[in-house]
Amino acid sequence: MLSPPFQRSVFVNCPFDEEFSPILQAIAFCIAELGFYPRLAPENADNAANRLDRILELIRGSKYSIHDLSRCKSRGVGEFSRLNMPFELGIDFGCKRFSEGTCEAKTMLILEETRWDYQKSLSDIAGWDIHSHDGDHIKAVKRVRDWLVRQEGAAQVGSTKILDSYADFQGWYWDRELGRGASDDDIREYPTIQVVEAMIEWVNLGRPS
Amino acid sequence: MAKIGQHVVPNTGGWSVKRSGATKASSVHRTQAEAIEAAKRLARKQGGELYIHGRDGRIIQRSSFGSEPFRSRG
Repeated sequence: MLSPPFQRSVFVNCPFDEEFSPILQAIAFCIAELGFYPRLAPENADNAANRLDRILELIRGSKYSIHDLSRCKSRGVGEFSRLNMPFELGIDFGCKRFSEGTCEAKTMLILEETRWDYQKSLSDIAGWDIHSHDGDHIKAVKRVRDWLVRQEGAAQVGSTKILDSYADFQGWYWDRELGRGASDDDIREYPTIQVVEAMIEWVNLGRPS
Repeated sequence: MAKIGQHVVPNTGGWSVKRSGATKASSVHRTQAEAIEAAKRLARKQGGELYIHGRDGRIIQRSSFGSEPFRSRG
């Protein structure tokens, strides 16, 4: 399968845990609805080396990127913060800074759950395009929409319309999967990467209801 | 044939009932329970689907009030 074009690709560097998946899926839908391609690292990579190679490929192939640093903050005693997201943000920044050619045009949006948290964990990025979503999918869509519509070639669609379309997509998706023999529980447990592929399909089909 | 779907979805201050494909909410409510009741009335009247979304925006329940080729299974 051909990779989406660099100019329309958005690398999504977000947590893949179940708790974050509603926000990740809403962000991915917003990207697809505005005419771009959400690019996510596969959850079922064969091994760590392959996964990292895949991430490098996605970073190199995406003009835009969204890095969510919500998991940089541990919530309890003994809990580790997650370092994959800032690690991949660093690779992306290095790609933009040290590459010559198309990668110099790369543009990033940084998201965090609570405003100003980055100042306590990654203050080197002060002054970048950083916004908080408070763990709320509606706010996450608004932040991504506001950033992406400023980019070249983005559809000029309001966030309320995007959220309405997100509900329509889900209705279509549930009906289709039930028709294919899935149960409600099956659909709820579908991996995010599968749901994101269906989002792109839905947009390409002309947003059927 | 396109089916008429009613969605109960969260908004910033409460809950909305929205028909599939519509650009405006049919009604807005303070609680999800109130929105579900309003959406059920519409779905029964129109013989369509009812999709109840959770606070996180994802569908948590689907019910059909018309003839359907398949049944929602939990």
